[in-house]
Amino acid sequence: MEAGIIIEELKKYIESNILSGEVKIDGSTNLQQAGIDSFSTVEIILFIERKFGVMIPDDKLVPDNFRTLQALSTIVQELLN
Amino acid sequence: MNAFDKSLLPKKVRLSGADCFHLVLDKHAQKHGAGGNVMRKVFYFSGNISFEKTESILKRSPIIYWLCNIELVPGSLLTIPYWKFTDRRNNIILLEHHVEEENSIPASILARDITINATRFIEADLLHYPSGASAFVLSWNHILLDAKGTTLLFNHLNHISENSRINYDLFFPAKEKRPNIIGYIRNMYKVKHFIQHSSKKPVSSIGEKDQKCADGSSSYRTFGFNSTESKKIAQNAFKSGSRFGPTLFFIACCAHVIHKLNTKRGKKGDTWVPVPYDGRLKGASGPLISNCVSFLFYRLRPEEMNNIPETVKSLAAQMTSQIKEQMPQKYNMLLNMMRHIPLWLYYFLISRTGEGTFASFLYTSTGDNFNELRSLFGEPLKNLALIPALTYPPGFTFVFLKHDDEVNVEIAYSPGVINEEELVLVEQNMRELLLADY
Repeated sequence: MEAGIIIEELKKYIESNILSGEVKIDGSTNLQQAGIDSFSTVEIILFIERKFGVMIPDDKLVPDNFRTLQALSTIVQELLN
Repeated sequence: MNAFDKSLLPKKVRLSGADCFHLVLDKHAQKHGAGGNVMRKVFYFSGNISFEKTESILKRSPIIYWLCNIELVPGSLLTIPYWKFTDRRNNIILLEHHVEEENSIPASILARDITINATRFIEADLLHYPSGASAFVLSWNHILLDAKGTTLLFNHLNHISENSRINYDLFFPAKEKRPNIIGYIRNMYKVKHFIQHSSKKPVSSIGEKDQKCADGSSSYRTFGFNSTESKKIAQNAFKSGSRFGPTLFFIACCAHVIHKLNTKRGKKGDTWVPVPYDGRLKGASGPLISNCVSFLFYRLRPEEMNNIPETVKSLAAQMTSQIKEQMPQKYNMLLNMMRHIPLWLYYFLISRTGEGTFASFLYTSTGDNFNELRSLFGEPLKNLALIPALTYPPGFTFVFLKHDDEVNVEIAYSPGVINEEELVLVEQNMRELLLADY
């Protein structure tokens, strides 16, 4: 799956379910600075499991991998491949 | 003189489900003779801050004016309780104190009655210390504002001191969506079952359910960590499995400290702790008024307390499971539904949970909300503290606060729940756990 499609799916989910309407994000937005906290991160992990059918292993659960949508899409791509 | 347009302030604001829960806590505090459901924030300054300037900023705030001019209209089966804006021209009272002991807060402030029967729900004090340093204390009833609302309130006061434009839309909760009654009832049963199961006996609490705190006082103890220690605490949190922020690590350390204390006291049972969860959409700049929190409920068996990483693992699994089940949202729906129940019945139902013991201890954290707050009213800040509302029982709350990249821990407690010797052990044990090598 292309990184652009993964980013778009994640963006759609996060903007409609987690973030306030006044906050818009793109692939390079720092998610923590946009307001994503530890609870929201768990929501994102659960969404990735449901949507892409992959489980993020323990060693990938590090803040760097959740910094931006781009970083997240890289992980999802790796797991899909 | 108030330099804002009062006509922009709402005449009626409905209480949220969490606000009504705090009404119950207020009733509970009155019944147990505890200090009331009152929060206090303390801002310390190295130098003197001007009484006139501070008073002027407070009086220019429309939200402070609103908080000084409302009364509660109780609900009924068909109507939800609401705040009625009375516009009685009450202004906030700022009192000035000269305090002998550096950084201390006078008992008169800590014992002040700001319960639901008070005429104002917010009070301000300015303290002057012998060294020339000063402190600003804001006290308010928790029914009106939660932790995030407080952060927004201080941002708003800073905007006033900078003469920035005031956005009234951010103050008050938006109109609620029409509820899906069947969905509500279905959720209610799920949540009721979950909480009853989560809080079932045996739970060991630091407080005794029948113990009363007759003089209504609450005490607190603070200890802090320098920036090097605070960095180590952040690393320890990560190493222990608290991957996205230190919250689970902090809760685990608190649980271990209380478990150790209870074991020493000969108490047996699991540890049960509700942890507040901000229900606002992330990145939102409002609402300032009303409690938008829900809760996550953690239960730890003694066999999950062998070491901190093991406890964090259990907490993480419980958190994931509750988020997966959307338990905080469902609990919020339950609280919203409970707004239709008379207060006495609500209190009866709540106090039956866990047979009158609300929790093993309470935990709250300001997260990073105040970490980068460098000034208030245009004056540089030296430090800050949060004195939480004290629910009794258990009458013991841990507060984790981060300011200027340094972690501070505050313990608010009812005298009678813990003695001085035990408090020293709690602090010592907490320091050891936070700074251990994992």
